[in-house]
Amino acid sequence: MIVVLASLGAAFVLLPVVALFVRAPWGRIGEALSGVGASTALLLSIEVSLAATAISVVVGVPLAWVLARGEFPGRNLLRAAVVLPMVLPPVVGGVGLLVALGRSGVVGRWLHDALGIQLTFTTAGAVVATTFVSMPLVVLATEAGLRGLDRRYERAAAAMGGSPWYVFRRVTLPMVAPQLAVGAVLTWARALGEFGATITFAGNLAGRTQTMPLAVYQARQIDPGGAIVLSLILVVVSVSVLVALGGRLTGLR
Amino acid sequence: MKKAVAIATLLVAAGCSGTSSTGSAASSTLTVFAASSLTAAFDRIGNDFMTANPGITVTFNFGSSTDLASQIQSEGTADVFASASGSAMDSVASDPGVTDRTNFATNRLVIITPPDDPAGIASIADLAKPGVQLVLAAKGVPVGDYARQSLTSAGLLSEAMKNVVSNEDDDASVVAKVTSGEADAGIVYASDVTAAGNAVRSVTIPAAVNVVASYPIAVVAGSTQTEAATSFLNEVVGPAGQATLKDFGFGPAP
Repeated sequence: MIVVLASLGAAFVLLPVVALFVRAPWGRIGEALSGVGASTALLLSIEVSLAATAISVVVGVPLAWVLARGEFPGRNLLRAAVVLPMVLPPVVGGVGLLVALGRSGVVGRWLHDALGIQLTFTTAGAVVATTFVSMPLVVLATEAGLRGLDRRYERAAAAMGGSPWYVFRRVTLPMVAPQLAVGAVLTWARALGEFGATITFAGNLAGRTQTMPLAVYQARQIDPGGAIVLSLILVVVSVSVLVALGGRLTGLR
Repeated sequence: MKKAVAIATLLVAAGCSGTSSTGSAASSTLTVFAASSLTAAFDRIGNDFMTANPGITVTFNFGSSTDLASQIQSEGTADVFASASGSAMDSVASDPGVTDRTNFATNRLVIITPPDDPAGIASIADLAKPGVQLVLAAKGVPVGDYARQSLTSAGLLSEAMKNVVSNEDDDASVVAKVTSGEADAGIVYASDVTAAGNAVRSVTIPAAVNVVASYPIAVVAGSTQTEAATSFLNEVVGPAGQATLKDFGFGPAP
């Protein structure tokens, strides 16, 4: 019975991917690739997803540390707030970002009027939207890792005179590195697939905010075959990375 | 063998529950695929129609006409199709086919800006001023193609395209980018302005360079509800439907 259900589950997940391969316009794949601007969108996607991952790690890991180690009222509320972008429809995140950071948003108005910074319709805006949606993954994975650590090492380092920042950097971080890496990869994968928040907040313009998922969405209006080719590229890139890291994704748990 | 039977049973069960919702005679559900620019007008026409025909429930699927056409071709679940462009209707007419095709409304293009008009847009020529943040619907979406056509007639296409900051999926998304104050201007249908009310300011595009979009409606071949579909279509082209469409900013059929 387990095997039956597992096969159903696997078939369900694999069917759309197989169908993409079956229906791809293999005869005119080169033409389809250039017609929908695949390389521009792919380059932008890689740029945006890597930037989002980097920002997520830089601010998300300290956030995970606070959630795992901090003792303060409202910690569970803070954790819920951090996870929220994962469960919200991304388009809701995009609307929230618009009213917060848009040109006439709560903070965005000030950014625009005082500093001349506009995030909407820019690559930076795409990075902001993508980070918002994908950061929870690295926070959650790192927090789980921190909770599983043997804290005696940190206490020993602190007892020998290490400052909290030194202990965090030289003792805690190396021990939590495997979980952090898993979280970063998942964050990157989520960032690569981000669509709803990006198109809502940053818009859709080739070379500036049109990442692969947006290019797929637009291509299916004009060239459904091209949309399939673009989708396949995303599948191949994602699967390659996930397979390359596959053993490490689960083996370290 | 047991496994195969189990899988087959599950698949059959799933298939049955998926199709059992159609074809009951007592109360029937009519599925209407309509261009997103028709949302407000068709919601009202649908309610009026259901009040007059208690046995029929009308459900709408609003979206870009091009999208709807390809959904009809791959899924075949629409009884009526109301399109914002002749070409989307043409493709449904060739596969799976349509009957009773007729034009029922027209729509013109207008420029919209936020109420405070941050970029000072007074005419279509201003869309080509450097630095204006212009939002259009994407190429392939009827209102996006019409907007490009109009800019071409005005001799502004290449300059205006440099100002485009986003290509949206439909007219509703263009309106949203302008009402949120992010974009300086957008080109949408006159009916969108009626729907948006005070949230936008509108600037007329002269008739000489404007594009008048004709909206065709038809019963989709393969519909199991042809009678209900035809009477809904008659409601739309009849006096009551035409009055509603006029209220929402549409022009009469050509």
